[in-house]
Amino acid sequence: MPEKPIKGEKRYFMTGNEVVAYAALAAGADIMYGYPITPQNEIMHYWTRMAPKYGKNFLQTEDELSAGFTTVGGVLAGRKSFTATAGPGNTLMQEPVSMAEAMRLPIVVVVQQRGGPSTATVIYSQQEVTMTTIGGNGEGFRIVYSTSSHQELFDYTIKAFNTAWKYRFPTFILGDGYQAKMRESLTMYDPEERGISLVPAEPYVGKPGTPGTDRPPEQYRNTYNVEEEIYEVVQNLARDFNAIASEVAEYESLAADRSEVVVVAHGVVSRAVKEAVNELREAGISVGYFRPVTLRPLAEKELREAADKARVLLLVESAHGQMARLIKEAAYGCKAEMIPFFKPGMGITAEEVAARVKSILG
Amino acid sequence: MAKAVKIVLAGEGGQGVQSVAEIIAEAANEEGREALYIPNFGVEQRGGVSVAYLQIGDQAIGSPKFLTADIVIALSDRAVYRTRKYVGPETVFVYDAGIEGVEDAIPKNARKVLAIPALQVANEELNPRVFNVIIMGAVVKATRVVSEERAKDAIEKKLGYKFEKNPELRDLNFKAIDRGAELVAGLV
Repeated sequence: MPEKPIKGEKRYFMTGNEVVAYAALAAGADIMYGYPITPQNEIMHYWTRMAPKYGKNFLQTEDELSAGFTTVGGVLAGRKSFTATAGPGNTLMQEPVSMAEAMRLPIVVVVQQRGGPSTATVIYSQQEVTMTTIGGNGEGFRIVYSTSSHQELFDYTIKAFNTAWKYRFPTFILGDGYQAKMRESLTMYDPEERGISLVPAEPYVGKPGTPGTDRPPEQYRNTYNVEEEIYEVVQNLARDFNAIASEVAEYESLAADRSEVVVVAHGVVSRAVKEAVNELREAGISVGYFRPVTLRPLAEKELREAADKARVLLLVESAHGQMARLIKEAAYGCKAEMIPFFKPGMGITAEEVAARVKSILG
Repeated sequence: MAKAVKIVLAGEGGQGVQSVAEIIAEAANEEGREALYIPNFGVEQRGGVSVAYLQIGDQAIGSPKFLTADIVIALSDRAVYRTRKYVGPETVFVYDAGIEGVEDAIPKNARKVLAIPALQVANEELNPRVFNVIIMGAVVKATRVVSEERAKDAIEKKLGYKFEKNPELRDLNFKAIDRGAELVAGLV
């Protein structure tokens, strides 16, 4: 049995779903649990094709609720476990994700956003931001990476497993139908050959020895009897999450601290924004961009700095204000005027962004 | 900085537009160029117009889809209606000369409109099976995103296992590339 799925570094040309399956293998994932939904299906297809060759497992469940809970179970057993979903599947997944949040279980979930609400389209959107960052009956103690290219799908899927197991919060890769289905190039590598060490998994339950005699007993709960108990649990979760926030938060920016207009976008839309901003800057226009890579937690300090120095933040997304809500909350009280450019469920091009910036600047 | 060349290919399901787009994208990638290809996909499994969006350039490519193409190739009547929105003043609009009843739908704002007899060439000179390869030759010639030689290499890579068994297929496919290129030579 071959030990490593990827040796050395090599350029590939493939779909994003295929990239995710390779990245999960490279990250040392042990098992995928899943239920089919477009546009993430091929993650399952490629995983089931490749996994047996490397001694990895797959379980197809009866729905996304079950896929989420079995992923939770895999993690409790000490296996690097993940699932992938989209749209209405993501909605069902919120219940098990809440459990993972309550119990600090490092599940990894890949979301390929499709149009909403409801069944809507199987194509593309950025309309699963609210649900992925703060969905479920909890407080959103999760880590969400919003990728924009196949290279990032590979890099951040590997990173997601490390982040999850290091910090023990549920961790998401938030992609979309475009990233899922398009083909472009990327370089794949074995993370350990690049000096990225893989954080080991460990079981939560079934550890050796007698609890209370050989080791302290492990207690994991998602049910509480009195208000004071849950209050303390949530306060502790909040404290721990806030403590790691600045360490986990990632962003990318260009001239965000010295431009009249700063365009804010995440995920695949940030590609169009970068192209537009670079072109406008070549023409001497005072414009920059700020792209949150993590939507949860956000790089608040840097975002607030941009929002205090710019005259306008142009908020661009393929949703009706889901990223904007996060940005407005983080930048509360900052000076910049927030102008929306929302195209729910539709792609956004560099030309459209450039035209909007020009119209703002008059 | 030169912008990426933007191509829209559209036809009926089964006409092979997705294969053409994918092979050209892979050929460009093999040359070390930046390529991005995305098919349209929806809830319908068959019966719709199949559209391929392809961009090839030398720098990182922006959004996967785009508003205006440099070249639009429509291979059926419905594809003409579906793709006319991607036409702007700089766009070359190519359609098969055999498509009937679309006179009113042919975009009037294109830089150039070309009706090429690809279907006729496929049926009368070569083989209906290489219709999409003729289209590939035309696209490659018209856009110069990859050389015709590179396009042939890409086909060899894709279908080489079939060519091994039946070398005549290789000649047929390569001839289709050449004939496709001839259909647009000097016209774009």
